[in-house]
Amino acid sequence: MKKTFVLLTTMALALAVQAVEVGKPAPDFTATDINGKTVKLSDYKGKIVVIESYNSDCPYCHNQYQTGAMQALQKDLAAKGVVWLLVNSVNPKNFSHRTAEQAKAEMASEKMDVTAWIDDSSGAVGHLYSMKTTPHMFVIDKNGVLVYDGAIDDQPDPFHDPSKAKNYVSGAIDALLAGKPVPVAQTKPYGCSVKYAD
Amino acid sequence: MRRIGIFLAACFCLAAFTANAAHTQVNLLLSADTARPGDTVLAGVDMKMEPGWHTYWKNPGEAGMATKIEWQLPPGVTAGEIQWPLPEKLPPAEVTTYGYNDEVMLIVPLTLATNLSPGPLDLKAKVSWLECKEVCIPGSVDVAASLNAGMETKASAVAAAIEAWKKQVPTLFDLSVSAWWEKPANDDTRPLIISFPTKRISAEVASADFFPNAYEQFEVQAPTETNLKDGEIRLRKFVKKFSGDWPNEISGVFLYHAPHYGTNAFEIKFHVSSNEPAGETTSRTGVAPVSNLSGQNTATGRMPVLPLMLLYAFIGGLILNVMPCVLPVIALKILGFINHAQHEPRRVRALGLIYAAGVLASFLALAAVVISVKAAGHHAGWGMQFGSPEFIVCLTTLIMLVALNLFGVFEVTLGGRTLSAAGQLAAKQGAAGAFFNGLLATALATPCTAPFLAPALGFAFAQKSSLIFLIFLFVGLGLAAPYVVLSWNSAWLKFLPKPGAWMEKFKIAMGFPMLLTAVWLFNLAADDYGTNVLWLGVFLVLMSFAAWIFGEFVQRGRAGKDIALVIVFLLAVGGYAFALESQLHWREPVTVPDSAGTSRAAPDGIAWQPWSPEAVAQARATGRPVLVDFTANWCLTCQVNKKIAIEIPSVRKKLKEINAVALVGDYTHFPDSITAELNRFNRAGVPLVLVYPKNSEAEPIVLPAVLTPGIVLDALDGAAH
Repeated sequence: MKKTFVLLTTMALALAVQAVEVGKPAPDFTATDINGKTVKLSDYKGKIVVIESYNSDCPYCHNQYQTGAMQALQKDLAAKGVVWLLVNSVNPKNFSHRTAEQAKAEMASEKMDVTAWIDDSSGAVGHLYSMKTTPHMFVIDKNGVLVYDGAIDDQPDPFHDPSKAKNYVSGAIDALLAGKPVPVAQTKPYGCSVKYAD
Repeated sequence: MRRIGIFLAACFCLAAFTANAAHTQVNLLLSADTARPGDTVLAGVDMKMEPGWHTYWKNPGEAGMATKIEWQLPPGVTAGEIQWPLPEKLPPAEVTTYGYNDEVMLIVPLTLATNLSPGPLDLKAKVSWLECKEVCIPGSVDVAASLNAGMETKASAVAAAIEAWKKQVPTLFDLSVSAWWEKPANDDTRPLIISFPTKRISAEVASADFFPNAYEQFEVQAPTETNLKDGEIRLRKFVKKFSGDWPNEISGVFLYHAPHYGTNAFEIKFHVSSNEPAGETTSRTGVAPVSNLSGQNTATGRMPVLPLMLLYAFIGGLILNVMPCVLPVIALKILGFINHAQHEPRRVRALGLIYAAGVLASFLALAAVVISVKAAGHHAGWGMQFGSPEFIVCLTTLIMLVALNLFGVFEVTLGGRTLSAAGQLAAKQGAAGAFFNGLLATALATPCTAPFLAPALGFAFAQKSSLIFLIFLFVGLGLAAPYVVLSWNSAWLKFLPKPGAWMEKFKIAMGFPMLLTAVWLFNLAADDYGTNVLWLGVFLVLMSFAAWIFGEFVQRGRAGKDIALVIVFLLAVGGYAFALESQLHWREPVTVPDSAGTSRAAPDGIAWQPWSPEAVAQARATGRPVLVDFTANWCLTCQVNKKIAIEIPSVRKKLKEINAVALVGDYTHFPDSITAELNRFNRAGVPLVLVYPKNSEAEPIVLPAVLTPGIVLDALDGAAH
């Protein structure tokens, strides 16, 4: 039943907007965050938006947070007025799933600085954006156009030092803020597979 | 229990990531306990995953991480690239990955330097991987194994297991793939059509797929639409581009599944055209153009047609009559014909036909073996049965007994009967003898691939079962033809010498080439049994003794025949049980890992290096001509070629002059990589000698099966320009 629902939602969304593609308008979505608030992407038009596919049990995500690199980036971008939407698409049967309470605790303990943590346990947003891995990053410009789709950085390894890697998200946003074209618009995302419902 | 473990891991996951993962057990295995300097030893990194957990292939797919091996090796030991067994496509469909469930063994060739000093070597490696089930956990462990550098190559207890995994590694194969973009690029994803001609695939293909290698700038996505057409397999895949231009070359693994044949997989590399090639080129067979030197009429570059191949098969069979390994049997056959020429022509004709039937029967049996071997998923090679140690032991014994028979130690025909009974029996014996001659000629012809036979058989191995039968039938007809013709045209029989007392002397003289054949076979057995082959010798002596008692006391004796027969029986059974079973362990030969020791260089001979596709590519990249000799211990033609046309001063000098690289591929134990290469040149067996010109664009020159110094020197001259 749930699977059918997800499928239908995904298909409806996919029909409404073309598949996610760099240089085209980013597909809009409406979702709920862990505080029960409704998050609608198009509400953020006029602002740069970062979307992050997240699963803290995945060593690749964990590496970005454990080293503090992701939080530093979030803090830096928040100061520049960038919206950061964290999407957790882990299905409820997987033990990496987080209830709202667990998610709030994790957000506090990890000192995350994000606009919203979207509970996407249905996988609707994940499928809409063809999120493959955790992490999988997207950057949307002020006009709602997708300008970056891919990996967080150029080191596909769960143990590297992110401060020494080339971060594609900060690279894209620096370029946007400077009014220049995004240097690397698309890369192959790396990480664990997104734990969608079967 | 594990659920609790997972629960705990989930709670304390943050601390758990740096610890070793517990769901994959890793061991380092070696194919040899002791190896000589210059040998290549196979290392197997064996990974056993708990149920539900998997690790990844060299291209993990849309998520995951390829397993890494970082070697810490003593000086003089170098590790090659990881050879990855064929992975599985792992669900879910939205994030497809390539990996292994339950167990995988990653194979790494370790090469010992030729100047390595003897003694123990500690081989260490750090293996890191990502294992996933409901979660992903990175794992890493230090593994170690020790190898002894010594004077001999001694296979380890796990050599067979490593070989078994190595067989799962897709081999390089030129399938002549064509690929093109279905349409111009509109966005970052573009449909790609990959077309595989099925002419090189003998079986009915039920499904097929392509597992791409990993690329940074683009990704060949996992979903595959398969379209099985007549003579072609078409795969439709999507390529997603991340950056740069659309790729014009893609490599990976092509695999297909055929009912009863299992799954076959090959390493392939193909060029992507901007649109579909014209009709004719899609069905291009990709047969390597064969140089005129070989005298084979394939100048058109097209697949040789069936009637032509059947003609080659027939001529090949004819030529087999004069190849070195059939000569001793010819002695037998000549004897047979002289014996029968005195009888009435009708009987001679009948015997000629029975001889032909014997040849054909054994060729058809051989075809059946080839087909069943193919069915087992192996790439069969001509001379296959000579790779089996058990076969060699049986054949050595048989040839030894034939030699003793020629010496007159015992008789095959029973004497001392009444005249009428003797006449009838002789008829029977004659028929049985003719049939047996046919069988023997076939068994001995196998390791010799005559010049015309090679392409015919190469063609046969890539065909359907019915065609394999047909080709083998024609080889058999060729082998039998001269004798059938002689027996029908009685006028020609008059050219044969008159029977006389000289025959007995001639018969005994012919026993010596037979004995030589036995010695050669014995030498082959030494490869498989090491110094233990002594017990095969003991067995042969015991059997010879039994044969003598049989001849002297059972056949020619007057009294005590029964006792003599019992002794013969005891000797045969006792010799078998003691020498073969308890001492030689003849059914469990010590197999030497393939390619081991092939890189040994004779003191002032040609500096042979082991063949591999990479070695060829490497040498050509530096602009040097390359001489490749595919050979095997059991291939007499190869040994003769080497003696008279390759390992000779003039060729050595020429190789130095033109700065050529000499590579040798040892086919004694049928390594798959060489089988694939032989198939690529449409050959089913060795010898195959190739000369790659200096100009790296030029096609290799394929030398004929029987070489003369002139042929080799001309080819090398041609390659240097």
